[in-house]
Amino acid sequence: MTLLAREWRVVLALVLGVAAPAAGAVDVVINPPPAAKDWAALASLPDWSGVWTPNVTDQQRRIHSDPVPWNKAAAAQVAKLEAAERRGDPRGLFVNCLPESMPSWMLITHNALEFLFTPGRVTILGESDGNRLRRIYTDGRGHPADPDPTFHGHSIGHWENDTLVVDTVAILPEAYIAVSEAVGVPNNGDLHVIERIRLENPDVLRDDLEIVAPNVLTKPWKTSRFLFRQRARKYDIVEGVCLQGNYSEGKDASGNAVFVPAPQTEGGNTIPPEDSGKPR
Amino acid sequence: MNNRSASIICAFGLLGTIAGIAPVAAHHSFAMFDFSKTMTVKGTVTEFRWTNPHVALLVQFEPQPGAAPEVWSMELTSPGNLTRGGWTRHSFKPGDRVELEFNPLRDGKHGGAFNKATFLDTGQVITSNLRAAEKPGLE
Repeated sequence: MTLLAREWRVVLALVLGVAAPAAGAVDVVINPPPAAKDWAALASLPDWSGVWTPNVTDQQRRIHSDPVPWNKAAAAQVAKLEAAERRGDPRGLFVNCLPESMPSWMLITHNALEFLFTPGRVTILGESDGNRLRRIYTDGRGHPADPDPTFHGHSIGHWENDTLVVDTVAILPEAYIAVSEAVGVPNNGDLHVIERIRLENPDVLRDDLEIVAPNVLTKPWKTSRFLFRQRARKYDIVEGVCLQGNYSEGKDASGNAVFVPAPQTEGGNTIPPEDSGKPR
Repeated sequence: MNNRSASIICAFGLLGTIAGIAPVAAHHSFAMFDFSKTMTVKGTVTEFRWTNPHVALLVQFEPQPGAAPEVWSMELTSPGNLTRGGWTRHSFKPGDRVELEFNPLRDGKHGGAFNKATFLDTGQVITSNLRAAEKPGLE
């Protein structure tokens, strides 16, 4: 996707007479409209169409086969979380319905995802959190000098033959590095994720991740995740708004259809309205 | 279908305590379900919530013969994942009489992880198994 590598850089001198301050000059980068050849170039990319379902069994196997090189402080927290899960403590990392974020979306998702190729960009769309998507710019740009941290970070990518190499920075420090929905530690800043994504065989996609998290890991963590291609229409991605689960459908005093809070346990399980919550 | 269900239950028993495997998807740990216990009850569906991230099936039943009926909430995976398993938002409706098999919450509250339901009027069995999607080209 080097066709769009050029950027049409327009420097706007804010002409307010000769006295325009230097700080008033703004670099405006215009994203060029794709040309026919840019759309045609997509045809030379590997076919990642369809819907991809995760190999959850392998995710969990790798908790042990690809152990995370936690530093001492993180390892102590992980040990507590693992112990809590063993004894049935209901707390999970994502009960608040905030995004699983990067890299945990790739590491522990149970939900399907899909890829969209458009000129200069690969977009990954998921099926939960309500807004689960990654925009990977393949137009040759770099990372911004001072990007705002986000749940999924700022991603740039390029193709090395049939492998998409993705570099992601500017992930919120609160985003977990998780090995399950119950066990993980916030990355605490300076997180950098490098991925190499390719078809391992015609219908299995492989994501080799290198997770650099100097505040919680002793060295970069290298692991892999796998997705299975589905083409049956019933696998098409559907909307998945996590917060909807906190509500049930009801009526207000005017007879309008409204969402009403649904009782839940502390751990996020729905319980029937008439349940006092007292143990039997 | 019965063999499939049996294998699901077996999988829960073996792995549930290790990795939190459950018939529900994202956003909470599954440690709150006691996968060493399987409850089977006969009751009536009161509500079927086809919502993310976890579909909920509410069923009323008598905890003991003659006891006051209680409503329990069963958790499932997401609508998307269930659709791929052949479910629809019409899979259950209030009034359906079912035999329900589930793993109860550890804390004794009236909830559980859905394993299987058998419609008492038709004998139809409905199950949920996310792991069935772990290969490509499924139909």
